[in-house]
Amino acid sequence: MRKLLAIGLVLALAGCDSAAPEPDPGRPLGPPQPGVLRVLAGSELADMQPILDEAAKATGVQVKLTFSGTIEGAETLARGEATGKFDAVWFSSNRYLQTQPDADRRLGNQVKIMNSPVVLGLSADAVRRLGWEGKRVTWAQIAEAAGAKAFTYGMTDPSASNSGFSALVGVASALAGTGAAVNADQIAAITPGLTEFFSAQTLSAGSSGWLSDAYQRRAAGADPGEKVDGLVNYESVLLSMNADGKLPQPLSLVYPSDGVVSADYPFTLLSDAPDDARSAHQRLTDHLRTPDVQRRIMDQTRRRPAIPGVELGGQFAQRDLVELPFPTGADAVDALLSAYFNKIRRPSRTLYVLDTSGSMQGERIEALRSALIALTGADGSLVGKYRGFRGREELTLLPFSSAPAAPVTFVVPDTGPRPELDRIKAFAGGLKANGGTAIYDSLTRGYQLLGQPDPAKFTSIVLMTDGQNTNGSQYATFESAGRGARIPVFTVLFGESSQDEMNKVATLTGGKVFDARSTPLAKVFQEIRGYQ
Amino acid sequence: MKRRLSIVLAALLLVAVVVVIVIDQRGEGEPDARVVRGVIGSEKLAFFHDKRVIDVFAKHGLRVEVDPAGSRQIATSVDLGRYEFVFPSSSPAAQRIQRDRKITAGYTPFSSPMAVATFEPIVALLTANGVIRNGQLDVAKYLELAKAGTRWDQLPGNTAFPARKNLLITTTDPRESNSASMYLAIVSFVANGNTVVSTEEASTKLLPQLTKLFLDQGYTQNSTEGPFEDYLAAGMGKTPLALIYESQFLDRQIRGDGAIRPDMRMLYLAPTVFSKHTLVPLSDNGDKVGQLLTTDPELTRLAATFGFRPTDSRVLGQVLTEKGVAAPPELVDIIEPPSYETLERMLDTIGRQYR
Repeated sequence: MRKLLAIGLVLALAGCDSAAPEPDPGRPLGPPQPGVLRVLAGSELADMQPILDEAAKATGVQVKLTFSGTIEGAETLARGEATGKFDAVWFSSNRYLQTQPDADRRLGNQVKIMNSPVVLGLSADAVRRLGWEGKRVTWAQIAEAAGAKAFTYGMTDPSASNSGFSALVGVASALAGTGAAVNADQIAAITPGLTEFFSAQTLSAGSSGWLSDAYQRRAAGADPGEKVDGLVNYESVLLSMNADGKLPQPLSLVYPSDGVVSADYPFTLLSDAPDDARSAHQRLTDHLRTPDVQRRIMDQTRRRPAIPGVELGGQFAQRDLVELPFPTGADAVDALLSAYFNKIRRPSRTLYVLDTSGSMQGERIEALRSALIALTGADGSLVGKYRGFRGREELTLLPFSSAPAAPVTFVVPDTGPRPELDRIKAFAGGLKANGGTAIYDSLTRGYQLLGQPDPAKFTSIVLMTDGQNTNGSQYATFESAGRGARIPVFTVLFGESSQDEMNKVATLTGGKVFDARSTPLAKVFQEIRGYQ
Repeated sequence: MKRRLSIVLAALLLVAVVVVIVIDQRGEGEPDARVVRGVIGSEKLAFFHDKRVIDVFAKHGLRVEVDPAGSRQIATSVDLGRYEFVFPSSSPAAQRIQRDRKITAGYTPFSSPMAVATFEPIVALLTANGVIRNGQLDVAKYLELAKAGTRWDQLPGNTAFPARKNLLITTTDPRESNSASMYLAIVSFVANGNTVVSTEEASTKLLPQLTKLFLDQGYTQNSTEGPFEDYLAAGMGKTPLALIYESQFLDRQIRGDGAIRPDMRMLYLAPTVFSKHTLVPLSDNGDKVGQLLTTDPELTRLAATFGFRPTDSRVLGQVLTEKGVAAPPELVDIIEPPSYETLERMLDTIGRQYR
């Protein structure tokens, strides 16, 4: 009786209703309890927001996602910078993180939420042209067709996005053909096959979202860039593009018969997470893995369920997929990424149009110098290693003020690049600021210098300016000259540059605007590398 | 004024609650449940989260809270300061903790033999190729194929699963998980001419061959729930052969939730080892958890409903009969794992090859 009285008093004090003693079938996990999970996550999980909002209502657990690339995330963990700031990480896969021992040891309980394999999506026309209708093909056959220039595709930068990274690993494992995980010693042997496969990659992007948009715009003729036949991306992204109905013709999904690499989205508690985060993680992941929520995830995001007993929807044409072995160690992964950037993928031809007008004096010119120098290998981070100027890259720096200055061109060799990188570093370190701002004369000069782009290379321009155009021709002149049709311009907002004009230049040329007003210039330059 | 009145009332209520609770604690009735926190092998998570299990512990005044971790992680890298008991999935990991912390107490309330989860087409294929004999997976024959780096598509007459991937049992990460170390116990025994590895010389000689069984798989997950879940959800392409505890498969069969589809099969390994789930108490409350798990008939029966084999083997048989699940075959080819030191040395050497 006294106990009952106590309970009654507690309830009166709390003013809330009693916790149900028996589990309610509509709410198998019991009543919601307030909690917040701070999660470092892959940006493609943005499409989970509606599901997470529903989950917050059901469980009381709010999720705060902070987006990061997988390699950057691994670095944040390895340096201990996630401690106290995040309770969990949620990337498309933990495989890369677990190759980094200092990141690996910070991972606690991992709960897989869903699945999506990385596959090739091709326009129906291309599939017909290749004679692949209703047929299963191997990665080697795909690589051969790619080498014969029978089709082209776009893919994300493997150092920026997991879909590109998974594709690189998948095709490498398949081409090695040993049936075992690929190791560092095998990379040289498969480099010719990989070079064939990646010679058809005519579009690179730092983010999966931009890649899909660019593909869509080009397919619809809304973008000056050359049309691309397909995309290497998650099955979920390709299916979603088809469902959006914006493509002139849907993508056919090619599931290589020798296997795929899949993302399994482990929602991973950090080992040093506090107790309430621990229980919040448990409640949330239990909820996300209930059959109803798994079905909703499948219907809304087109990812496959992680639990048994949820019937796959009809959109998943290929149900049983062979999973290719994934390399176990940092050495193998590093060898593969380094070979990809410096030897395998199409080489880059890159031109930087750089504002060195008087307004750049002081901190700004210093930021520009160090942003360029970081790309010569001065950035010792995990990510920086794959974002610098690459082997076989032809780089032209075109500083300008009242008029374009003399351009300087560097060619980075694929072996022993240090001396050339040092020359770039010396040139960047010597940049000085004075004079006016002739943006469009200089951009036009850049186009003249690059001439007709070589189809075997990634050719692009970066335009960085901190102010309005004060000298020479205007934007209208550049626009009417129609030069934009050939080479994309990645514009960088810095200082007082005109957001409107920079947007226009990027849109006109099929490029993208980057904002260095709130983000350090060096970080922006590094990000742009994913598109070059 | 109203606000002040409500504060006063709230304060009065609070005092009343405290008084009643204090009186209650001094009177008769059950003491409030004490929280006992443990770190356990992940395959026991569902057991500890089961409401019936929670209720039995509550009757004895305990609220058991558990965090899952790989059994080797428990023995080596988990900070045990916050826990009152550890409950890894095997005796070698428990021995290590007992030795490191100079604890003699230990409870082995239940165990489970290692097995392989697979599919009917794979069973037919491996039977035709002599890897499965009398319904059990012949580890010696399997090692022969694995040693030669045989791919699935190289098996004669294979139309069922012509994957260009090595014929390998999917295990967990040997650096972190207990089931992988149990697997090493089995394969090292067979590779060593059906003798438990006991010398450094023998392990040095065998390790190149044994390391391949792990490294060739590439990335492996760190808990046994991982491969089994892939087996259940993603199917044959991803995981044609998954190393599991017998309990994992039986648990799903007993639940009858449809996760075990008609073409799914569990195979026993010949020889196999028993993974002996061993609780090591780190405090008096932790010791009480160990005692209850070993002696309380209700907990023993509940453990059996999760597919574990309690010390009294009849209990599992009864549960299986009740649920209409076929009883497992009599296992005769059972071996003991190597000593903790030998097993650890081998695991460390293999772990160093992950580069």
